[in-house]
Amino acid sequence: MGLFKDSNLITDPLADNNPITIQVLGICSALAITAELEASIVMSIAVLFVLGVGNVVISLMRNIIPSKIRIIVQLIVVATLVIIVDLVLKAFAYQLSKTLSVFVGLIITNCIIMGRFEAFALANRPWRSFLDGIGNSLGYAMILIIVGFFRELLGSGTLLGMEVLGNPIDKTGVYAFGYENNGFMLLAPMALVTVGIIIWVQRSRNEALIED
Amino acid sequence: MEKRTDKNSYTILFAVLMVLVVGAILAYLASALKPTIDVNKQLEKQQNILYALGVNENDEKSVAFVSTDKVADEFDKYIVKQLVIQGDDVRVDDTAYLIDIKKEQASAKNPSYKRQLPLFLGVKDNKLSYIVPIRGKGLWDAVWGYVAMDENMTVTGIFFDHKAETPGLGANINQRFFMDDFIGENLLDTSGKFAGVDISKSNADPINIDKLDNEVDAIAGATITGDGVSAMIRSELKVYSSYFINLKKN
Amino acid sequence: MEHLELFFKSIFIDNMVFATFLGMCSYLAVSKKVSTAVGLGAAVIFVMAITVPLNWLLDTYLLQDGALAWLGEEYAQYDLSFLSFIMFIATIATMVQLVEIIVEKFSPSLYNSLGIFLPLIAVNCAILGGSLFMQSREIPSLGLALNYGVSSGIGWFLAILAIAAIREKIRYSNVPPALRGLGITFIITGLMAIGFMSFGGMLTGGADSGKSEVISQEAIQKIEKEVEGIVNNSNN
Repeated sequence: MGLFKDSNLITDPLADNNPITIQVLGICSALAITAELEASIVMSIAVLFVLGVGNVVISLMRNIIPSKIRIIVQLIVVATLVIIVDLVLKAFAYQLSKTLSVFVGLIITNCIIMGRFEAFALANRPWRSFLDGIGNSLGYAMILIIVGFFRELLGSGTLLGMEVLGNPIDKTGVYAFGYENNGFMLLAPMALVTVGIIIWVQRSRNEALIED
Repeated sequence: MEKRTDKNSYTILFAVLMVLVVGAILAYLASALKPTIDVNKQLEKQQNILYALGVNENDEKSVAFVSTDKVADEFDKYIVKQLVIQGDDVRVDDTAYLIDIKKEQASAKNPSYKRQLPLFLGVKDNKLSYIVPIRGKGLWDAVWGYVAMDENMTVTGIFFDHKAETPGLGANINQRFFMDDFIGENLLDTSGKFAGVDISKSNADPINIDKLDNEVDAIAGATITGDGVSAMIRSELKVYSSYFINLKKN
Repeated sequence: MEHLELFFKSIFIDNMVFATFLGMCSYLAVSKKVSTAVGLGAAVIFVMAITVPLNWLLDTYLLQDGALAWLGEEYAQYDLSFLSFIMFIATIATMVQLVEIIVEKFSPSLYNSLGIFLPLIAVNCAILGGSLFMQSREIPSLGLALNYGVSSGIGWFLAILAIAAIREKIRYSNVPPALRGLGITFIITGLMAIGFMSFGGMLTGGADSGKSEVISQEAIQKIEKEVEGIVNNSNN
């Protein structure tokens, strides 16, 4: 029962309350790591984990956190979670930890995590907070993966490292017809423009979201 | 009515307790895991040095190190001698690969300190390679690597790594397409002076046929990382260059 | 000279918003009006000017590998760098709340103009980014750390001021309805970032430190002796 009652906690952030395009949270990381689809996916999974667990922890502590220092408490909870995971990975899965080390700083500074702690987990029960965490990180993941997909495809002509458009040096595939990769897509400014276009598409489909 | 959690005494008590709990957890984890992490780091250094020497399990495109269970033996087999140069002094030291380049660079700012410079001598297929560690700064954080050279100061193998460069852009310095470009580049210019390798964006030779031009092709969108890599090659290898120039003279 | 170079470099070349894309969330959310943008920008400069030098002290005397050496020889082996994230963040959050309390007490008028932005700053990643860059770029002295904090803050201030001015003007332009507000702001920021990339060419000369310390003749001969042994061995 409860599962279906709260399902909007998962579905809302996917569209009409998307953390990136509507709530304007977690932009920095969406720009920094989307030049490659693989990095976008890894970052999405990391945020899914941290936000899911973090939301539950904060929600469990919501009645004992003093309101004056709540921001410090929230930041320390995220930072501790991330550092613990980082240390454990360094000891037992060193190669994996090297791949993830880039993301550690980005996760701690990711305002999507702080934003959801403050806006939701501080006022809701653990299960609902958990669903909210999962929903928001999925909404975040969706945008990251769309942006990563287009930037990698148009920028380097590959997807997850595989050459889907042919080889630019041997001139196979579409490169045989004179197509060139748009290296500009790999630069961060184009990530901004891509997100801008996603917002444009989303708001033309749902006019209720248009700002005046 | 004031809530219990708004009281000053409660706030302070909470803060103190939290600092204690978090501090205890982190300190315990960090010290309990430190030995394992240190071993991992040592093995990684050995893997990287061997990689530069060309001892690796690469297939066509991947970067594959010697596996961790074999690396210690392979390291002893291929790296025949580890030297540490400090001022006029040269000593053989089997733990030279553990020297912290970052610390050495920092202490060298003090003019009275003579920096310890590691030099690894590796023999593969009966050929002697000189392997040198380098370290510098990229866009976000440190970049480092190992360069293997023959006696003409021609690069025979190279390995780069980074702490936190941008995925998809600067992070690609540890990919084959970038590292392999350096192989065969000569670090001396045609007149025999040290020149390094520039990471060039306006390269007339993007597939890198001309190995004597002291240039390799840059990664698009990774200007600052690329500049950092060429700066570290220039400044760190220059220190060793007098040895190779001397060899050439004789 | 060093100070001047760092100053311009942090404002224009390594601009927090346009080069490293940090502090984007509050940059986009609080840039509708120039007056609020000025308030938030000033608060960011203020907080960065305090936290970057403070974190520099923490990093140099507490966190770095061997930083505890001033306590005595036996402490030199400790490496607390795994705590840097948490220490930096705690410093920033504490400073923000302290500043809020002090400003409220002593200057209510300043509090009215700055106060509402202060909680926003604790979650502004440009602030933590500033401290982390300070650490990773190994800024050598407290003075330079202060300079770095202030100038990065000014760079951020400049960026939010520019976008707020553009957003006030763009209200009179005929932007497609669905693109109004956030959408067009993203695209303009992208274009501004491309413009700022042209600063990248400044100050790159002279990267060569000119230090010409090389291995000495004496050492070269000693190395040659060591190498000789190897060549002989492998021939046998």
